[in-house]
Amino acid sequence: MVDFARVQKELQECNRDFGVSGIKVIPKNEANLTQLLGTIPGPLGTPYEGGTFNIDINLPDGYPFEPPKMKFATKVWHPNISSQSGAICLDILKDQWSPALTLKTALLSVQALLSAPEPDDPQDAVVAQQYLREYQTYVGTARYWTEAFAKASSLNVEEKVQKLVEMGFPEALVRSALESVGGDENLALEKLCSG
Amino acid sequence: MDSDKFKEMIENESDDDGDESEKISETFICCVCRDLLYKPVVLGCGHISCFWCIHKSMSGLHKSRCPICRNRYYHFPSICQTLHFLLLKMYPTAYKKRENQTLEEEKSIGYFSPQFNGPADQLQYEETIVHPSDALPFFSRAETKTGEILEMMEHVESVSDKQEIGLTYFQGPKENIAATSVSIVEDENSNQINGRTCQQVSFDDVLCGSCKNMLFRPIVLNCGHAFCICCVVLHTNEMLKCEVCQSPHPGGIPKVCLEFEHFLEEQFPIEYGLRRCSLQMKQEQFSYETPNTCSSEAGKENFHFSFSSGEDPLPWWNANSKVHIGVGCDSCGMYPIIGDRYRCKDCVEQIGYDLCKDCYTTRSKLPGRFSQQHTSDHKFEIVKSSSMHNIMLRLLRGQLQEVSAVALNEASENLVPSLTDDNTNEETENVVDAPLPSSESGPNESDNQRSA
Repeated sequence: MVDFARVQKELQECNRDFGVSGIKVIPKNEANLTQLLGTIPGPLGTPYEGGTFNIDINLPDGYPFEPPKMKFATKVWHPNISSQSGAICLDILKDQWSPALTLKTALLSVQALLSAPEPDDPQDAVVAQQYLREYQTYVGTARYWTEAFAKASSLNVEEKVQKLVEMGFPEALVRSALESVGGDENLALEKLCSG
Repeated sequence: MDSDKFKEMIENESDDDGDESEKISETFICCVCRDLLYKPVVLGCGHISCFWCIHKSMSGLHKSRCPICRNRYYHFPSICQTLHFLLLKMYPTAYKKRENQTLEEEKSIGYFSPQFNGPADQLQYEETIVHPSDALPFFSRAETKTGEILEMMEHVESVSDKQEIGLTYFQGPKENIAATSVSIVEDENSNQINGRTCQQVSFDDVLCGSCKNMLFRPIVLNCGHAFCICCVVLHTNEMLKCEVCQSPHPGGIPKVCLEFEHFLEEQFPIEYGLRRCSLQMKQEQFSYETPNTCSSEAGKENFHFSFSSGEDPLPWWNANSKVHIGVGCDSCGMYPIIGDRYRCKDCVEQIGYDLCKDCYTTRSKLPGRFSQQHTSDHKFEIVKSSSMHNIMLRLLRGQLQEVSAVALNEASENLVPSLTDDNTNEETENVVDAPLPSSESGPNESDNQRSA
């Protein structure tokens, strides 16, 4: 059974110092606190600077005694993050989890992972190879991906909805898809296409 | 890196229950449930958490790690009654609220944490804290029959009489300091707007089990008793024993409980300073070789289980060790039990009452960890750990090379290791008929110990 009292506290606390950390966690659906969406800013001085990355958080039954399941919802080019699925290779999300860690500290660690890749323990072998062999190419690709997928779009919600509706999706579906991915129209499109 | 982060987090975490009149100090927020500590236990590394938070975060498969510093530990410590009654006194409303919450949870899972209230509520807290050794067997009976309460009260009163005699020896210096403490508490109280909630915490609430002075650099042993670090002496070639209840403490001298220390320093600045001064003289003679507080890095390296012989007392994965997955010793708290496991045949509680070999042979008189109504005339039986379990476990742990050795070993040990054992899991081998050979009833015996 998830300790919802603690999750509530964590959410309050995390969103209280959003101004300092830039890290935000919101429930995808108010009624269900096990499905959350985290947001971290790309660390300064890295190819991820300027991006805003969404992370899907799924709390297992044993939380906080089991680690939360996290994966990137925003596409990102990083040796320890799958460019396909968004799976994160980070020890504290696996065997090094401790119940004294919180969603915020875990997200901080993910943010730290963005600034300090570990190509020797890769999740995405292609990215890791590139990181080791052609570092400049890696930086270029990562920056491009940040621009393409992680930059807050200048469009507002209504414009996004309209854009997707024009592609032929029903409006209700578009709205729910946008909502579930945190307003990112690329992800929403992907979601709509995949059904 | 991470540990710094959680420290920071914990510090930043201010209490959300702003509407409540009791402002709970950050010191007493549990790192796991982020609420007021309830029935606090202190690990060997000096970190505090709630009874259930630690229990839930322990692993039934292998050694557990401290949630804060990842220090490894094998034994589930008993609740620190000094802290328990201190918190109850400081935050009566919030603590009661936590108690009710926890009780609801306990009812739903069917296991109960040890209860200290009941008779203890009617006593002065000081008495229970000063004399936990007598209180222990008394607590174990506490829930059995409420009709016995009167009798128990008498018992406790007689105990406290004796205690006073014992204390007169220490009365001199203590009174001086106690006088100052009162004035300070008053000062602080005048600053507090909502003085109605926080009863005065006095010096008597935080006494060392050995020197009967205010705790200085407090450590808490596996049995839950608190001492000044300088009052506990580890003799070479001997296991550390609690001076109050005589139960052994595995793992050498624990680290100072820093949260508790900070609280004492804040609450009693003058006395703490006095204690420091008076102990400085002694400390010059002492020099500590190892750091006695936990820095998370140092903790990993230094905190090996230093049993008397110096060797690892629990040979986890050697081919002959028997691991009783998910079963803990109700006396010393070893979890999971390694080696022989003795199960009580007479305890009816679902969770059962089990002892490890050491505790069985030393005839531990501690009450169960989950309020089992275990008494000394209950009978025990030896329980074999399932060989299949052990093999599976080793497979899981990637210790394939050992598996064949184990399988052979087990096969030669019990001639019928049929696969149907899987269902029963544990095969009762031989039944130990003799009851625990304790000739006297609990309270009498502890009286004897004290006079001895």
